[in-house]
Amino acid sequence: MEHQPAVIGLPRAMLYYRYGVLWRTFFTGLGLGVAASPPTDRDILAQGTALAIDEACLSLKIYLGHVAALVGQCDYILTPRVSNFGRHRNMCTRFESTPDLVRSVFRSTGQKFLSYNVDGELKQDEQDAFLSMGRELGCSAGAVKRAYRLAKKAELAHFKEQVQKQEQLSRREGMKVLIAAHSYVIEDPFMGKPVTRFLKAAGVIPLRADLTDREAALKRSLSLSPTCKWEISREILGGIQQRRDTVDGIILLSAFPCGPDAMVNELIARRVGDVPLLNLVLDSQSGTAGVETRLESFIDIIRFQEGKL
Amino acid sequence: MEHAYLGIDVGSISTKGVIIDKQNNILSSQYIWTQGDPIGAVKELVRLLEGQFDKGAYKVVATGTTGSARKLVGAILGATMVKNEITAHAVGTTTFYPDVRTILEIGGQDSKIILVENGVAVDYAMNTLCAAGTGAFLSSQAKRLGIEVEDIGDYALRSTHPTQIAARCTVFAESDLVHKIQMGHPREDIIAGVCNAVAANYLNNVGKGKKIVSPVVFQGGVSKNKGVVTAFERTLGCKVIVDPNGHLMGALGAAILARRGSGRQEFDFSVENMEFSTREASCGGCPNRCEIICVYRGAQLIDSWGNRCERGAQVR
Repeated sequence: MEHQPAVIGLPRAMLYYRYGVLWRTFFTGLGLGVAASPPTDRDILAQGTALAIDEACLSLKIYLGHVAALVGQCDYILTPRVSNFGRHRNMCTRFESTPDLVRSVFRSTGQKFLSYNVDGELKQDEQDAFLSMGRELGCSAGAVKRAYRLAKKAELAHFKEQVQKQEQLSRREGMKVLIAAHSYVIEDPFMGKPVTRFLKAAGVIPLRADLTDREAALKRSLSLSPTCKWEISREILGGIQQRRDTVDGIILLSAFPCGPDAMVNELIARRVGDVPLLNLVLDSQSGTAGVETRLESFIDIIRFQEGKL
Repeated sequence: MEHAYLGIDVGSISTKGVIIDKQNNILSSQYIWTQGDPIGAVKELVRLLEGQFDKGAYKVVATGTTGSARKLVGAILGATMVKNEITAHAVGTTTFYPDVRTILEIGGQDSKIILVENGVAVDYAMNTLCAAGTGAFLSSQAKRLGIEVEDIGDYALRSTHPTQIAARCTVFAESDLVHKIQMGHPREDIIAGVCNAVAANYLNNVGKGKKIVSPVVFQGGVSKNKGVVTAFERTLGCKVIVDPNGHLMGALGAAILARRGSGRQEFDFSVENMEFSTREASCGGCPNRCEIICVYRGAQLIDSWGNRCERGAQVR
C-alpha cells in the first residue's frame, strides 16, 4: 500500500512570520507535506476571539483562529514552545505556553499536535529541539540534521534578503516612517497591513525596525536599555537605534494588550525623544477610522515641521 | 464679490460650522447637536449658516470638513479639503494664538494634546482605546448626581474641599463616586472631585510624558466646564486660556485649510434641501466581507468607501 506522507499544518500567525521559512524547508526536506492556514480574514479573527479568554492579546486570538482553521485539515499542527535563547533573552510568555494552551483549547477535537522546545536556560537550543522533533516523526537522525541545516540556511538567506530590501528602501528619497512592531503584528492582514497600506497611499515610505541585522541590533539595544529581557523587543530597540537619526518619524504599533510592548513602548517614548512618535494600539474593532485619523494627523505633524502643509 | 470659506466640524456629539473671509474674520457661525444624525445635522447647520450670511457681498469658494464624520459630510458638501481633527485644531488655534505652546482638547469621546513650537505642531497624543474622562463621562456622572451637565462648573467652584475620586479609570472613578455619595460627601465636593479626576486622568493618560509649556489653550466641549479649567490651572500651575470661540476651532481650522488648499468649488447652499442617504453594502468578494458605505444624493451614488481592495469597487 502506498504510504502518504504526513501533512504538517502551520498556523499563519505569531511565530510563523519569524520561522515560516525554517519550518517549511525543514518539513519538506524530510519529505513531509506542509499546509499553512489562509491569511487572516474576518472569520479567523471571529473564531479565535471566541476561543480565547477575553484578556488575551489580539495576536493570540488571531493565532487560535488560525489553529482552528487547520483542525481536521492536516495530520499534525505545529505549536512550538520557544521560551528563551539564554539568560536575559526571553520570548513573551505566550510563546512559552502555546503548546499547552493550544492542546487544552482543542482537547476535544482529536487533532494531533507537534511541538518542539527551545529553552536556552535549560541548554536546549533550536537544533536540539528540531532533532528531537524529527525523532518523534520517525525520521533518522542524519536526515533530520541535514534537513535542519538546509532549513536554517534558507531562513537566514530569506531574512538577509528582507534586511537588504529595507536598506534599499531607506536610501530612497521621500518621507520615511519607521514602524516598531512584532513581525506578526505588522505583517498580519488584519493588524499591521492596513497601516502600511495607508502610509504608502499617503506617499510615505514605511520602514521596519525588526528587519535589521539581529546580532548588531542586540548590541545596539543595550544603549537604550541594558536590562530589557525580551529578545524580539531588543531586536526592535536595536532597529530603532540604527535608524532614529535618518527617519522622519517612528510609529510604535502594538496589539492590545501586549505585555512586553506596554513596557518597552513606554521606554522608547521616554528615551527616544527627538523624533515624532506615534503610539498606535490595535484591537479588533472592524472600523479603521480611529487608526486612519491617528496616522493622518501624524503624517500632517511631520509635514508641518517641514513646512509642507 | 469677496471670497469666503466654509469650515464644518462634525463630531460625535456636536456639529460646528463657520464661514470666514480672507482675513479669517467670522462671517457666520453655528453650533448644534449631532444627535446621531450627521447628515441631518449638517443640513440644519447649512440652513442656519445661510441665514447669517450675506450672499450679496460674499461667495463661498472652498469648503473644508473635519471631525469623525468628515468623510461622509465632505462627500455630501463637495468639500475641497477633508482633514483630521488634530490638524484642523492645530491650524485653527495657531492662527488665533500664534505663540501657543500646548493645546488641550477634550471632546465627547476623544481627548487630545497637541504640542506646538514656533507656530507649528510638533507632537500630539490622543486617547488610545479608553474614553475615560471625556465629555461622555462627565454627562453620565451629571445625570447620576441629578444636575445639568452645563451646571457642573458652577457646582465645582462652590466646593472648598473637593472629594478625592480615583482618577485612573472611568469604571473605578464611577464606583468610587457612588461610594463617596453613600458616605455622605456634599454634592459640590463630589462634583469638584469629578472635575479634578477628569483633569488628572487626562494628564496621566493623554498628557503622559508630554512637556506642557505655557501658553496653554484648552478647547473642546469640556473646556466650557469651569471646574475642569480650574483643576487644570491648579495642577499645571499656569493660566489656561479658554477662547470664547474654542468650540469652533476645528471648524475654523477646516475653513483655513480649505482657504490654503488649492481646490476651489463654489458652495451650493441648496444642499439643505437635497435628499441624501447612505447604504451599507457587504462585499462578497472574499471572507473579509468589507463593509462598504455608499452615499447617495437622491438615487445617484456620489461616493463610497470602506473596501480594502479593488474587488469591493464592483459592489457599489
